[in-house]
Amino acid sequence: MNQELIEQYVAGRLSEPEAQAFEDYCLANPEFARQVEYEQRLKAGIAQVARGSTAEFVRAPHPLQWTLAAAASMLLVLVAMFYIWNPGARAMAPSILAAANFAPYDGPSLRLALVRGSDTAPTLPPGLVRVEIVGLFDVGHQYSVALDRLEKNKKIDTVATLNDQQPNSPVSLVVIIDSGQLRAGPYSLRVRKQASGEEALDFGFVKF
Amino acid sequence: MDFIPGGELSRRIRQGDVSAESELIRQFEPGLRVLLRRRTGGDYGLLQDLVQETLLIVIQRLRGEGIEDPQKLAAFAAQTARNLAIASLRKTERQRTDVDSEATDRKADSTQSVDRIASDHEAALAVRALLRELPQPRDRLMLKRFYLDDHDKELICQELDLSEAAFNQALSRARRRFRQILEERGFAKRDLLSLGL
Repeated sequence: MNQELIEQYVAGRLSEPEAQAFEDYCLANPEFARQVEYEQRLKAGIAQVARGSTAEFVRAPHPLQWTLAAAASMLLVLVAMFYIWNPGARAMAPSILAAANFAPYDGPSLRLALVRGSDTAPTLPPGLVRVEIVGLFDVGHQYSVALDRLEKNKKIDTVATLNDQQPNSPVSLVVIIDSGQLRAGPYSLRVRKQASGEEALDFGFVKF
Repeated sequence: MDFIPGGELSRRIRQGDVSAESELIRQFEPGLRVLLRRRTGGDYGLLQDLVQETLLIVIQRLRGEGIEDPQKLAAFAAQTARNLAIASLRKTERQRTDVDSEATDRKADSTQSVDRIASDHEAALAVRALLRELPQPRDRLMLKRFYLDDHDKELICQELDLSEAAFNQALSRARRRFRQILEERGFAKRDLLSLGL
């Protein structure tokens, strides 16, 4: 497979059977697939940059933009440092949300998975609930789990946070939620891989 | 890292080997991202969902009943991804044609819905960094013509008075630098699904 074929695929110039054969080859060759993905991302990134204006393609950015960007970055760093060093700024309520050990559990349980198109959120049963979060996890890394209450005015109130959680397997991470301490309403469990820039995954549920 | 054949992966996952599940994700995730990126119209969030869903389906299938021909595990994963993409597209089309108040609201808000699509912000940031670094305005214009305007190489070479060799060299340099920027900033491993890479 050569670069020209990658270009044709990314530009959408291959017929459907050709494109499918190309994709099958990618599935069997991860390193080649990564090369293709960089090409896709370059094209997508250029399209995104050009969405507002194509000025960046024809002239250099104004020096003032650099100054403003540097100032904004510095401000972000200061805010992040304040957040990290001020324990009061973090929502911690371990009695509501707790780590689960790997032992069998006889109490109530709930399984949360990302189900696209589902209009109904699962219900949290009463008691100490073993919540299994189904997703793809890197077993060599730690995750933070935040329990958010979703208010009617779309405000998000973090009621508990749990850091340094190890996934139970590549496809599940388990925590315990004390349902009795939660008010009725919609909630979301936000799971994020620590020490990474990855976006968090949200798993919604309802407490009645 | 070595590529483990589908038959061996299938057997080990069926036997409960967790490391084989991680290996399956490592092997198939890049290809699935390529396949699904083409089918999700720039919706980065949907792309991530579908890659995740595909891998979960494949792993659960291998843990349970297995697949008919384990040697064709990659083809099975690819077809599962295609089916999920088609189902997702159908669902979107249905939502567009439903005449109810919710759909009407969505239609009325169509400009916002475009903005709500989760984009590949990291790629855009890397492109901006790349454009800032390119000393020649001609090189920036060349990228625009090639990737955005979809012009043929020949046409671009004529317009910018470039030889084909110079064009290929500049393009190759830009690609390499783009990849380097993503890697330097950690964006290359940013996706949740880039496990064990």
